[in-house]
Amino acid sequence: MASRLCRNLNNAALKYQNQLWQSQKNYTKRFSEWDSTVNVPSRKKVTDMPPMNEAVSNLPKPIYATLKEEHQKTQVTELSNGIKVASENRFGEFCTVGVIIDSGSRYEVAYPSGISHFLEKLAFNSTVKYPNKDEMMSILEKHGGICDSQGSRDTFIYAASAYSSGLEDVVRLLGEVVLRPQITAEEVDAARQAINFELEMLNMRPEQEILLMDMVHAAAYRDNTLGLPKLCPRDTLHKVNRNILFTYLNRHHTPKRMVLAGVGVEHKRLVDIAQKYFVEKKPIWETDTELVTSNQNVAVDGSVAQYTGGLVQEECDIPQFASAGLPVLSHVMLALEGCSHQDDDFIPMCVLNMMMGGGGSFSAGGPGKGMYTRLYTNVLNRYHWMYNATAYNHAYSDSGLFCIHASAPPTHVREMVEVIVREMVSMAGTISGQELRRAKTQLQSMLLMNLESRPVVFEDIGRQVLATGHRKRPEYFISEIEKVTKDDIVAVARRLLSSQPSVAARGDLRKLPSLQYIQQGLTDSEGKMPGSRKLSIFR
Amino acid sequence: MASILKLSRTLSKFPKNAASSQTAKALRAASTAVDFQQTLVNVPPTKVTALNSGLRVATEDWGSQTATVGIWIDAGSRYETSKNNGVAHFMEHMAFKGTGKRSQCQLEIEIEDMGAQLNAYTSREQTVYYSKCLAKDVPKAIEILADIVQNAKLGEAEIERERGVILREMQEVESNLQEVVFDHLHSIAYQGTPLANTILGPTANIRSIDSSELRAYLDCHYKPSRMVIAGAGGVNHEELIKLSECHFGKACNTYSGEVPSLAPCRFTGSEIRVRDDSLPLAHVAIAVEGAGWTDPDTLTLMVASTLLGAWDRSQASAKQNATNLARYSAADDLCHSYQSFNTCYKDTGLWGVYFVSDPLKIDDMMFNVQSEFMRLCTSVTEGEVARARSLLAANTLLQLDTSTAVCEDIGRQLLCYGRRIPPHELTHRINSITAQNVRDVCYKYLFDRCPAVAAVGPIENLPDYNRVRSSMYWLRV
Repeated sequence: MASRLCRNLNNAALKYQNQLWQSQKNYTKRFSEWDSTVNVPSRKKVTDMPPMNEAVSNLPKPIYATLKEEHQKTQVTELSNGIKVASENRFGEFCTVGVIIDSGSRYEVAYPSGISHFLEKLAFNSTVKYPNKDEMMSILEKHGGICDSQGSRDTFIYAASAYSSGLEDVVRLLGEVVLRPQITAEEVDAARQAINFELEMLNMRPEQEILLMDMVHAAAYRDNTLGLPKLCPRDTLHKVNRNILFTYLNRHHTPKRMVLAGVGVEHKRLVDIAQKYFVEKKPIWETDTELVTSNQNVAVDGSVAQYTGGLVQEECDIPQFASAGLPVLSHVMLALEGCSHQDDDFIPMCVLNMMMGGGGSFSAGGPGKGMYTRLYTNVLNRYHWMYNATAYNHAYSDSGLFCIHASAPPTHVREMVEVIVREMVSMAGTISGQELRRAKTQLQSMLLMNLESRPVVFEDIGRQVLATGHRKRPEYFISEIEKVTKDDIVAVARRLLSSQPSVAARGDLRKLPSLQYIQQGLTDSEGKMPGSRKLSIFR
Repeated sequence: MASILKLSRTLSKFPKNAASSQTAKALRAASTAVDFQQTLVNVPPTKVTALNSGLRVATEDWGSQTATVGIWIDAGSRYETSKNNGVAHFMEHMAFKGTGKRSQCQLEIEIEDMGAQLNAYTSREQTVYYSKCLAKDVPKAIEILADIVQNAKLGEAEIERERGVILREMQEVESNLQEVVFDHLHSIAYQGTPLANTILGPTANIRSIDSSELRAYLDCHYKPSRMVIAGAGGVNHEELIKLSECHFGKACNTYSGEVPSLAPCRFTGSEIRVRDDSLPLAHVAIAVEGAGWTDPDTLTLMVASTLLGAWDRSQASAKQNATNLARYSAADDLCHSYQSFNTCYKDTGLWGVYFVSDPLKIDDMMFNVQSEFMRLCTSVTEGEVARARSLLAANTLLQLDTSTAVCEDIGRQLLCYGRRIPPHELTHRINSITAQNVRDVCYKYLFDRCPAVAAVGPIENLPDYNRVRSSMYWLRV
């Protein structure tokens, strides 16, 4: 019935379309005078199909999905070797499946830094079953699939999206990629080159967030866990080799530290397939013990992140090449110790982050990007030399960072830091009801909007199951956000301000105040730094 | 789902041994044979209704908690003259600057307090306003969209302020060399016709456009028969019809002046060189005239584009996978990045490759690009095409992941095709493309055609146009 309805309605639309065609026919006629002088494609019909605005006849009749998604639950099953399988059903023709592993740069203390960066580039290369990468890609392509890998400080993800019908092939492929990669010397070289290009590109681009993020973590957790670099440093680029990579994989990519997550799949089926390719078939480093250096018998680094605070800075030119009219800027990222994602303060911290908001002073996009958040109203709208001011909240299993990133011309670095310090201090001051209400609504809608996307749901399931063994529904977070009060916000702001600051800075830093001054500013009730003049808009 | 697979399996048997027209007939027969079968499409249907005013309302209802709704208008810089070039884009900016009912600030706060997003963009043929919001806020979002599109205040002070913002945006566009190259490409490929104009317009126009010009543009182009209200996510079709009737009821299709007609756009093979040796890298685009939106050749050209692919230096191991061109680029370090493109307009299109390379490598890269063009015309293989086909189908369908992407697809397709192509038809169309079809189509659009070439940067080594032109054919069988 629905299709009949559609057809009737389409007719009405077609009538309009016909009018349009008529007018177009007129000018094609007028155009024919030019044909003799202009090199135009022939009028020959070479594709035997009706135009795109007409339906192809004789197609099988479609049966569309019925409306309303039933309320789903995330099912979790632990297999005999410790790997957890978690999945959710969902409508759509595609599924996303992948493996989320408790592995990342925070565990690299006993190894040369950059292992995770290498693994990210090496993912989906040749494996035991598929010695040729091309073969593997054609299998994925047969099912309309794409794949990706991503390493972060505490999680490593391999994932693929494909037609749901290709589930078994995709999981077999994931099993190979995760547990049985060959990592040939040639592939390691290619990865090294790609990393080198990436580092070059990061330095060339005007955006500094990725570099600053690594620096601010290094300042906050000096030489331990979360402070270890995510981007492979140049001096260890040549130290990472096949042997070291396999030794790391053997320790960290074990079934107990893994979750196989799927969205748009049937749970029972996923469990059965996982049994075949993740339990019965062994990892390459278990079947071929030569690969692993046995004398380097270091256990997994299980230490808790130690927050130290501090300053990491790099004097450099931004942009690297003065061309194309890009402004010369200095960047500062100021961070305080936040909380872990299991902490009771986590949700108020997220609301606070939303309330600070911010962004670029010339960023595109209309209303809804957080134009009335504090970093806009109090900072970007008031100080026109400020190019960017954005708040970030990073949460890990045992600690977290709450940061504000700001950029301005080198002449204003000192004022920029003063302004940001003052905003941080006033987080614990008065909060208006409207401002809190808005931040809460925005956080709720952002959560739901992000979860529209299948890969985001996949990542959410994987990360939550990896951390706690089950997944909390979005409804839970919505109601938790609703409960946050002004007092909660003030409490987390006080908690933040009681920590030592961590500062990362890049660019021309001659006017950067010392760490000690910033510390004093953060403990002052008005956020005033020693020796700061009264701030004026007219300067 | 199962029947889709069966169908495509029967299809895949044919192409290898039959000539193209015969194959296509066989395909038709094959699909007739399975006519009694039904295809399971695991997405909700797109419902389309035309209101009395000609305004079309289209939705795909997922019953989810969030939604995207928007207005797609058949208007853009193509409808402008050299005198008012830039007015479509200026209007898009002014829509957010207050209406008769609400000031700019009120509008912004209303949206922010809902946790919603309001956005707009102008292209050469379409102007779009859309909002992403919670499903329960859809009525409010439609009311706001209707208000900003129909009752924009166009105050003098706001217009003056916006000039600065647009000039600043222009600066931003000019620092992005890819955009600069594509603007140059349009300016020569469609020289003397409205598609040659940029979207932002020349500085002189931005400085002079006033409220009367904006109002004239509105009266002339924002007509219900040229608009589509699209919705995806938690949007009920009947409810959206009611809302549209309520908020767009007063809009009419009568024109006070002359009825605007779509000016024809002629493609001219030609070149533009903007030499600037102070830049580190050369940015080059080469394109031929492609097909318009509705042309059945369009999808085949998309497959041809997929066969060229895209690549940049930070991708590891292009050696094994990826397309020929990517492999050559990686092996011989021909360029820093390249991408193929197929830009469609109503009656024409641009199909080609854009690349960024070291100044000394331009000639080699150009040679490889054009050799690939010729290979597509003469000897592309069934295996490659099969691969490109599935890649294209997957990429097209995988993109439709969020309500915004789906809404965008609905709005664009209704303006371009007058309907939304159902997913099973799209897969069928793509799966029917054979290597012979790719060769035929490429022969039609590429072989012995005059290309348009646009280049910016240290481009001394870019081959002379006659040499580029002479590489558009092969004197061999």
